Parts: sequence; C-alpha cells; structure tokens
Amino acid sequence: MAGVLLSEAEKTFILHGVQSDLRNDGRSRQDYRPIELELDIVTHANGSARVRLANTDVLVGVKTEIDVPKPEKPEEGKVEFFVDCSANATPVFEGKGGEELATEISNFLASSFASSMSFDLKTLCIIKGVQCWKLYVDILILECGGNLFDAVSLAVKAALHNTMVPRVETVAMDGGNVDLQLSGDPYDCWRLDTKNMPCLVTLSKIGEHFIVDSTAEEEECSMASLVFSVTDGGRLNSLCKTSVGSLHPHTLAEALKVGVDVGVRLNKALDQALAREDRRLEADKPERFGFLK
Amino acid sequence: MQDIKIRLASERVNHSLTFGEKGAPQLFTPGQTITDNQRVMSGHGTYLDEDNKDVLKASVAGTVERVNQLICVRPIKCRYMGEIGDVVVGRITEVQQKRWKVETNSRLDSVLLISSVNLPGGELRRRSAEDEQMMRKYLQEGDLVSAEVQSVFSDGSLSLHTRSLKYGKLSQGVLVKVPPSLILRRKNHFHNLLCGASVILGNNGLIWIYPTSPEDESGVGGFTQNLEEVIDTEDRERIARLRNCILALAASKLMLFDSSIQYAFEESLSYSIKELLTPETMVDVALHTRHRLQSYKDD
Amino acid sequence: MPSDNRRIQGPEVSSPYCLFQSGNKNVDVHSGRSEVLSSRKDSRKFMEHRKIYLKTGVVSQAKGSAYVEFDNTKVICSVFDPREIPNRIEYSQHGELFCVFKFAPFSCLTRRAHQQDAQEKELSLCLKRALEPAVCRHEFPNFQVDIYVMVLENDGGSLAAAITCAGLALADAHVPMYDLVTAASLGVTGDKLLMDPVEEEESLCQNPNKENQNHGLITVALMGAHTQVTQMWQTGSMTAACVSDALTHLVQICEETYPIAQRCLVKSVVDTISKKAQ
Repeated sequence: MAGVLLSEAEKTFILHGVQSDLRNDGRSRQDYRPIELELDIVTHANGSARVRLANTDVLVGVKTEIDVPKPEKPEEGKVEFFVDCSANATPVFEGKGGEELATEISNFLASSFASSMSFDLKTLCIIKGVQCWKLYVDILILECGGNLFDAVSLAVKAALHNTMVPRVETVAMDGGNVDLQLSGDPYDCWRLDTKNMPCLVTLSKIGEHFIVDSTAEEEECSMASLVFSVTDGGRLNSLCKTSVGSLHPHTLAEALKVGVDVGVRLNKALDQALAREDRRLEADKPERFGFLK
Repeated sequence: MQDIKIRLASERVNHSLTFGEKGAPQLFTPGQTITDNQRVMSGHGTYLDEDNKDVLKASVAGTVERVNQLICVRPIKCRYMGEIGDVVVGRITEVQQKRWKVETNSRLDSVLLISSVNLPGGELRRRSAEDEQMMRKYLQEGDLVSAEVQSVFSDGSLSLHTRSLKYGKLSQGVLVKVPPSLILRRKNHFHNLLCGASVILGNNGLIWIYPTSPEDESGVGGFTQNLEEVIDTEDRERIARLRNCILALAASKLMLFDSSIQYAFEESLSYSIKELLTPETMVDVALHTRHRLQSYKDD
Repeated sequence: MPSDNRRIQGPEVSSPYCLFQSGNKNVDVHSGRSEVLSSRKDSRKFMEHRKIYLKTGVVSQAKGSAYVEFDNTKVICSVFDPREIPNRIEYSQHGELFCVFKFAPFSCLTRRAHQQDAQEKELSLCLKRALEPAVCRHEFPNFQVDIYVMVLENDGGSLAAAITCAGLALADAHVPMYDLVTAASLGVTGDKLLMDPVEEEESLCQNPNKENQNHGLITVALMGAHTQVTQMWQTGSMTAACVSDALTHLVQICEETYPIAQRCLVKSVVDTISKKAQ
C-alpha cells in the first residue's frame, strides 16, 4: 500500500501508545474513527453508496445487467466485484501500481460473499439456465487513509442494500430466443436481502495488541494484520492474513474473538445508519450531498 | 467499549465559522482581473495581462493585499513558501552525497547540507570523509528534523541549517500537518505550553507535539533519539488532546499560535479526547476558542 | 513462466461435458453428504491426513525445486536465483518474493486457461503471504526470488500442498530461512470436520444444505519450530468457535508433517554428499 515514511521514534511512540490503550488520536484500541455514509448518490447506477472513514474515501456503484447463467450453476445469477485503485487516491496507484491491492480486495470480497447463506444468488435467476441478473459492483477508491478493507466493505454492503433490481413482468420463450418484458414503471423494483451480508474488519497487530481501524501511520508500524469477514449473526465468512509477519496460534484464536465481536458491532452500526438513510430518502425530494457542503 | 456510530452525509457539519456572516473578504480566482489601474505594481500571486499591459490579474485563488502601490494576492491554500529565518519541521527523504533531502511541504525538496549541521564534538569540527560515510547514522530516511531556513535558492528550493541547540533530530511525539498559511509568524515557534506539552509550530505547516522535557531548552536538538523511554499516559493524553485541538482549529481555519492552541486545549477539556474527532465537537471547540481570542483582543 | 498472449486460446465459451452427464455433480452433492457424514470414501478417519510424498531437487535447472504429492494432488515448484527487482527505482530494504501459482490446464475437472485467472492470482498472493515470514528477506535487499508453483493434478488441498512444496523448494534453493513452512487444509460441513478434504469433499463443504450450517474450507500454514502461523485462509461461513477448533486441529497436523519435510531435506543433503564422496 501507499507507504508512509515514519521515523523510528514516531514508531516507538505509536507502539507505546497502543500498549497503554491510548492511540495518537486519543482512541482506544477498539475505536473507529468517524464514519460517514451516503446512499444513492450516483444517478445512473442501480445502487450506490459513498463511505468516508476519516481520510479514506470509497465510492461504490452497482449496475445490473442481464446475462446467461454459468452452465454449472444454471439456477444462480452472477455478481462481480471490481476494485479500482485510481491514481486519484495516491500517485503510487498510477499505472499498474494499485493493481495488486485491487485484486486482493476484490478477491477477498468475492470469497466473503461466496456463501449462499450471505448472498443467495438464486434470487438473481430469471429463467433457469437461460437468463439471470448479473450485478457489477464497482468500487472506486478516492482517498486512501488507512483501513481500506473495512471502508470498502461498508460501502459495498450499503450499495447492495440500495440496489434496485428491475422487476421482470413477463417472460416469453420464442424458439431459442428469450423475450423479457420489464416493468414500465422505473420504480417497480425489488431489493436484495442484505441482512446476512458481511462487513470486513481488519485487525492490525502492533506490539502485543490488536487494534481496529488503523490509520496509515499505524499500518506502517503493524507487523501482521488479519482481515475478518463477519456477518450480522457473528459468523465468519472469510479470514485471511494480509501482511507479512506471522502469529502464534493462541494470538490468532484471541484475535478471532475480538474480530467477530467488532464485526457484529460494525454490522449493527451500519444497519442503523442504513435505516436512517432510507427514511431520509423516502422523503419527496431527498437532497444529495456527495462532495459538497 | 463504545458503540460504533455511522453518521449520514445529511448530518454533515460545516466547519466554517464565518459561514453566513457578513464581512467575509472578497476572493479572487486565477485569471480574474484585479484592477486596470496602470499605477500599481504586480506582486506575488498576480500577473500583467499579455495583451493589455495595464490589466493586473490574479494567478492564485485568494485575497488581495495592498501595500501602497504593490498588489499581492495571498493564496488561501498553497504549499509553503520559505523565507530566510523560518522555523520548519521536515522529514528526511533521501541521503545523498554531503547532503540530505528534506520534505518540507514546499514546492521543491529542501536540502540540509552536512556543513550546516552541528556534528557531535563541537561546532568548529572539520567535516571529514568519515562523516560523509556516517551520514545515515546521524539522520536516515524517515527521520524528522526541526531546522531553520538558511537561504533560498534561485529556483525556490530551501537550504536548511540546524546549527543551534534547539534544532535537530526530533524524538518521540506526534506530527500534525496543517495548511502553512494557518501558522502565525511569530518570533518564537518553540513553545512549552501551559498545559504541559511542547509544540514546534513549523512555518511550513508541520507541527510537532512532544512531551516537555524536564531539563529546559536542551530537550530537542542533536542527533539523539530516545527509543527506550516510555512516555507516561498523562503526557500522552495531553499530546493526543493537543493534536485533536490543532486539527479542530485548522478545520475551522483559525490561526495557530501558542495562545490559540492553549485556549483550544482548555475549551476542549469538557470533552473526552476521542470525542474531539467528531465534527460537532471540533466546531464547538473552534467556536469557543475564537470567542475567547476575540474577547481577549477587545479587552 | 512467461505468459504468451498470442497462444491460441480454446474457444471462449465451452463447458465441460461432465456437467451434462446423467448423475450430474450437483445431484451428487446431496447424496454424497450423508455418505461423508458416516465415513470417507478413501476409508480415512475424519482427522487423518492423506499420505504425503515429498522430494526435492526434481528440476535440475532451477536453483531449488520440490515435488509434493497428497495422493492425487500433485504439485511441483521451482525457485530461481535472486535477481534485481525489475522496474523498481527506489531502494527496498527487504527482498521480495515473487510467487506464481498456476493450475496446469489439465489439472482440474474443468480445463484451466493458460493465463492466470482471478482465483490463481488470489492463491498466488496467499502463497506469498504464507512464505514471507519464513524467509530472511533482509539478506537480499532490493532483490526478488521467483517462486513458480504448478499444480499438476488437483484433488483438493492444492494451496496447502503448494505452500509445503514452495517452502521445501526455497530451502532446497539455499535461500536463507528462519524456519520451514508446512501447511494443511480442513473442510467443515455441519458439525463434521474433514481433515485434508479431497476435491469432492471440498465442493461439498462449499455448499450448505440446511440453514445456519457451518460450511467452508480453512488452510493454515505453520512454521513448526517457532509455532507461528504464517497464513490462515478461510472461506465459507462458520462460527468463530468452529474456526478456532479447526485451527487447533490444523496446527497439530502441520506440526506432524513438519518432521517429514525435515527428513526430506536431510535426505537430499545426505544424497548429495554421498554422491560427491563417490
């Protein structure tokens, strides 16, 4: 990732701060920085969300298209995650610089959403083996200030929550051709069930302790970090070590408990925020803020 | 353990304190005509139009300042423009032959020549070839230094020096970055604040917060870094609070100097340190600080 | 492994014929489940690892190489001399590992493309992360070591086999290392844990059949002498308790395979010495 240069003394200061449970910005080890969420900010997307976590800024847009299901899974729709680490965020991402990070995030998202208990792809089926919906989840990293995984997952879950899939009214098979008739009313849509979709929690190990929501400086000090994909009910969908460094099995088992606990709280917070934002959007002409104000 | 809270964009707080107030200064944007009066002189941030030499236009976005016939535009946001004698905080980015490259938030990288530092063993020591090989021992990539601007090269890059005991390598503490224009130029940029921590307000917008050392003045300087020392929690709390206060003031575009920072610190005491990260609290602290500064000025 | 863009690719849309056979796999998943719950097809115990076969020095032109076999899962790995990191201007203090994980086109039930797909890229990264902590990377600053892993035949646990294989190959290439790395995988379905699942069991573990059932796969890589987990990779959906339970089992198995890897290395050294002596 975009490396920040730190002196040894600064690293020591951060390390001791984590030890005494008082980080440089006054947070304890398990506190998040302020998070801001906005839904439905891209007009042309079927669903969109922007999440700003302190200095990390992520914009997600979901587009739905009609596709042919995979032959091995005729009853299921498709979903594809694509992360774009644009050079907007940092010049390091220019050209192929951000590619590795981008594939890492998109692959991790794909495996987090892979379980049918989290995201039932069968709901995206139109005609078995012939037509299905395909969701393109495009993630744009606008600013990168540490803890990218968490911010991305919040935005993805929010955007999927916001996604409106058009309702198919009639389906006619004409020989080999399929004739789909979508509802004429653009608001006649159905929404995805995001209840069991996971959020990602990154734990970074600094010294002997794990911290959540590390800043770019703290990431520089961390020797090992783990990403957990945790659902509302406290189930783990995916887990991966994402940095150099190794962990003792005991430490790992402890990190598991913390990660799941934080993940449940994060999901709860997101659900509440989504509900409030939904209420706001129900109003007649909800204001869009985006990057203004 | 606090519950995580996610805010909505609709609840976003405007940090601007003068929002909606009258008397805000007029802003000029690049290319905008300032005056067509022939008798003025073109200063920083302005240029004379090619076609019509009488017309003076702004080249940066900012407010106009006028000294007799000289017209300047003072940019709202810019990289640091160094002046001789400025105190700066910078980070070493490269070790080269006989000099260090220092990132100081100015337009070009600054340099610190090995001849402009005090090497251990007295001021009048000759710099030998060994010293050049030992350069990374003194300062390596990533290290922070406080220094003074010695001279400005013709291309605008800065040459720094640390030939005083107060300058040198910085040890444990926190670096905060704010727009350079928010740092009020003062005689002294090293402050031991009343609240019990010290700050170096670099003219280049980098602020270094560190615990006040018991043996006064000689705390910083030289090339020593104490990595064993564990800063106690009280000092750490003060530093964290100061950091958040400075960021709150900077977000509301209040000038930063010793008393504004001290006031902000005092005003912030009604909140916990991490509450100072939320926008509402930041604005509140900035408002109170401005209020106190004004009442002090009125007296 | 230079990927050749001009190579003639197979038709873009083709699907393996086995999908259309009667007695399709999808049907199998559910009938197979009850079978697995009672006993495994290859009559292993649930916590029993397959037989492991290891060999170093299989590719004579590489600096170091290794071959690993878990019954029908066959993986070969070669490691090459450190070389300067290409297209890198700034100095990096630590050496880099460059890992390529590839399934041979014929290794799986469905044909794999010649170019790395997303899954292979992900596995490459997993492999890299698993090996990084074990290599003394400060000993070759600004250089990278190339590690190429090819799965010749995939019958489950290919990542685990690849990690073990690459760890051995690195040691065989005399790259300075803190410790050897061994890895193992485990499948979870319901309340059953299956050590080292074969491919059929793997696909079973990826599909839940009842609501709120634990399912998924976990791979763990371990540095045996230091008891440090260098990589943990889990997919599916399961409770934290289940994961930590699986972790204990996996660490135990990794510790058991560690001496095998050691013996294999010692044997290769003894062989070279005795060859020289002749």
